[in-house]
Amino acid sequence: MLKLVDKFRSRYALVLIMLILLMVATLIPENPLYNLNWALLSTLLVFVAILVFFWSFERSQVSSKLVAFIATMSALAAVARIAFSAIVSLQPATFIIMICAYVFGPQIGFMVGAISALVSNFFLGQGPWTPWQMLCWGLCGVLASFLAIGQNEFRLGRFTVMAGFLGLFYGWVINLWHWAAFMYPLNIKTFLAVYASSVVFDVIHAIGNMVFSVLFGTTFYHVLKRFKKYI
Amino acid sequence: MEDGNKKMLAYQFKDNLIYKLHPLTSMIFVGVVFVLALIFSHPAFLLGLLIPVGVVLGAAGNLMQGRNYIKFSLIMVLTIVLINVLFSRAGTTIIYRGSEIPLIGALEISLEAILYGLGMGLRLLVIISVFCFYTYTVNPDKALRLCGRLGGKSVLAITLSLRLFPLMIKDFQRISEIQRCRGVKLSTGSLWQRAKNTLPIISIILLSSLERSLQLAESMQARGYGSGPRSSYDRDLWRPRDYIIIALSIIALLLGIWSALKGWSAYRYYPILEEISGLDCVLASFIAIILLLPAILNWGGKKWPL
Repeated sequence: MLKLVDKFRSRYALVLIMLILLMVATLIPENPLYNLNWALLSTLLVFVAILVFFWSFERSQVSSKLVAFIATMSALAAVARIAFSAIVSLQPATFIIMICAYVFGPQIGFMVGAISALVSNFFLGQGPWTPWQMLCWGLCGVLASFLAIGQNEFRLGRFTVMAGFLGLFYGWVINLWHWAAFMYPLNIKTFLAVYASSVVFDVIHAIGNMVFSVLFGTTFYHVLKRFKKYI
Repeated sequence: MEDGNKKMLAYQFKDNLIYKLHPLTSMIFVGVVFVLALIFSHPAFLLGLLIPVGVVLGAAGNLMQGRNYIKFSLIMVLTIVLINVLFSRAGTTIIYRGSEIPLIGALEISLEAILYGLGMGLRLLVIISVFCFYTYTVNPDKALRLCGRLGGKSVLAITLSLRLFPLMIKDFQRISEIQRCRGVKLSTGSLWQRAKNTLPIISIILLSSLERSLQLAESMQARGYGSGPRSSYDRDLWRPRDYIIIALSIIALLLGIWSALKGWSAYRYYPILEEISGLDCVLASFIAIILLLPAILNWGGKKWPL
């Protein structure tokens, strides 16, 4: 069984690597793949990336308690997102995803992030941004979980810095799609212009994250840590 | 719970043919238009996608709700046009040559860059309106049930999360009311004071939802979750119109791919605008007519009811 899992995993890794190589190939002039459709390729890449995480979650031995926990935390993050949706980029969801990931590890973190993006969009509206948001928030979870490696208690300082960084990171990844799909020529100038046009929103997101971390970080951590014992 | 969820969702059932389509049919339609929008760069072809999607959206009765989407996307279109105009140097028909600007260099606005920006804006508009169609006309529960066969646990988590959402909003309202009764000020006072008073509410919601998630897991276990292979059933009706729409959507997709391979659906903006040939327009309108089918069927169903 384990061998089979490994086989599948390496197959997915292969698909990912091939897609990335394909994207790189479109950048090199004078080969048949030059200038292939980036908008389509990047969307494909994101879909495959999300599938890899979902698939590895399907394969893992997960108890019903954990499934219920993921659903609960995603719903909480979605509620928090919609409650603040009037202020475009103030999103407490990122903080909730991060703290789940910090306590429960990268896999749960990714699932909570991806599902909360999907579910909140059923209320706010689905769009081409949905897979990108799923991936971004999922990755926020994965990155936040790395902070907890070798830690037995909550480090508010580190966590807050990370929260600020992930606020910026989220906007940066979303911008990448915006740039690849709609800009011409794809060069450093248009790249910087796209990033400059979103800088206000990214900074609001980052500051919001840091404030939420300071306000709720310690409480949430202790609650989740205690809950983890039941699972 | 059921009722609250229904009111809050963007999806609201309306009594017309498009809402009664099998969810997979609508999803295939959306998928085909999305892929075609990413493949095409020719403005005539993109227009040939936007028009049918707009008409289908109107036939489903969602044009008014779609306005919010359009407003949002217009801002995005504007930034796209602006950045393309300011930074693109590939065009040859210069309309305006301005002075030196730091970082950007000499300002040079070309006709090609403006039209390229508008063309890409058109693409974004197609994509956003087709997702708008999805959001308003496909029941999320039915769509998730379809996916349930592909993956058990993750889809279950999504469905549960969708169900827990309205419950949590009710919790928030209930707990805030109780806090108010106890004299905690939530709507008056300084922002800092209010935030400080809301803090315990958030923690209580966290605690009570975690409690509920344990109960949920216990009840799942009691009903035999995970004790054997997952069973699934299909209650959605397949009608002949579903088959027709799926078949024609796939034909549209193949036509689109074929014209992309032939290079007809591509459009060269730089260095000088390409001429739009009659063949392109005919092909684009042909694809548009194929994709109009759901709206035509809806109209026909109303005109000649069974």
